Amino acid sequence: MAPRHELADRKERISALGVISPPPIHVQSPNFDGSLATLFTFVRDHKVDLLGVPLFPICEAYFAYLIQSELKDLDEAAAALSALAYLLERKAWLLLPVPDPEPEYEESMELPEPTSHEYQSAIRALQLWHEERSNLFFRSPDAGPDLYELPYTLANVNPADLARAFERILRKAKPETADHIKPRKSLQEQMKAVLEAIGDDWTSLENLIVQPYTRSDAVYWFLALLELIRLGQVVARVIEENVEFCLAASPTGRLALSHPVPNQERGD
Amino acid sequence: MNAVDGVEALLFVADSPSTAESLALALELTVGQVEQAIEVLTKRMKSKGPLHVVQLAGGYQLATKPEYGQVISNFLKPARQRLSRSLMEVLAIVAYKQPLTIAEIDAIRGVQSDYSIKALLERRLLQEVGRKQTPGRPVLYGTSQQFLHQFKLNDLSQLPDLEVAEPESSLLSLPAEAESHLDE
Repeated sequence: MAPRHELADRKERISALGVISPPPIHVQSPNFDGSLATLFTFVRDHKVDLLGVPLFPICEAYFAYLIQSELKDLDEAAAALSALAYLLERKAWLLLPVPDPEPEYEESMELPEPTSHEYQSAIRALQLWHEERSNLFFRSPDAGPDLYELPYTLANVNPADLARAFERILRKAKPETADHIKPRKSLQEQMKAVLEAIGDDWTSLENLIVQPYTRSDAVYWFLALLELIRLGQVVARVIEENVEFCLAASPTGRLALSHPVPNQERGD
Repeated sequence: MNAVDGVEALLFVADSPSTAESLALALELTVGQVEQAIEVLTKRMKSKGPLHVVQLAGGYQLATKPEYGQVISNFLKPARQRLSRSLMEVLAIVAYKQPLTIAEIDAIRGVQSDYSIKALLERRLLQEVGRKQTPGRPVLYGTSQQFLHQFKLNDLSQLPDLEVAEPESSLLSLPAEAESHLDE
């Protein structure tokens, strides 16, 4: 390779790419007719189809040039060799097999043919069975063993008798005073007290309540009594001779006191 | 206690199909003894009374006989749940191809099935049975016990064979009960 100061003396032979121009080897082919340097430029700029340019005659011309010049200018020979190497590489790449182009996106997404017609007989069978099934009735899942209350009887007692009995005990109640205010207690506690007071024999309500009592005591007493009647632990009747509201413990009563009483929170 | 009466008592209080195993456990009998008792009970109830033993959803349950269906409907006035053609089509596809994804149902039907799937899930005829191990992990759907109950099927093997079914042919492989009912 020539030193830099010699290259500087040969500026007219340096190409725009900063390399020494190859020697004027002439190329003649169906697609191109000109010098090796021009072919190199055209191929680089994609102006010539290299596949139509045979490179073997160019290589022979290069050897002829090397013989004739007797390697007087190594830079020029190297530039020609570089240009030839570039052309050979480009042509080698062009000769590689090209993979098939990818199919269009729309073609690959073509939907398959619906096949739901294969299920027609099954659909008819299901419809028939569904129709048949609609004529069968089963126990409802909602009819489970939910808690429910046993019906209770009030014998000859009606709501008016209850109201009269309540009115009577209220009338006999002492007025509320600050001294008589007692701590609050739950309805369940009151129910226990009422149930203990009621015996197996018929006793009138007024005789059951321990005297003296306030109006609050009367209300609590009566509420507890109603709840005990509802639960079937106390039975009530009206003695017709003196229209007296009487109570007695139910034969099945006194059972549930050790168990939580439903709705007890209403008294809290 | 008579085994037949015991089975009848348990089926009477049960609000869903009871398997022979569960009945045997409660009655402290063998499964074979319970099945024999069910057979006797089935024959006994078939000859008299408004109830009969139905085998469905993998168990046994007491039901009213079909001839009482009209009067019970008059009494209870149940809301009729008719299934549209599209719902029935999706149900049939899932019944045969389960488990499968919505995309697979769409491919078979050629139309979207989102609404149908949602409606069938609400009616508890379909249920999610897992997720497919593919990108996106789509939900897999299958039929439920309610489906078997609603269509009076004991299990999925009672579905008619698709390969031998022809579009215009009569129903094939119907359960014996359905065939006898058709004969009536």
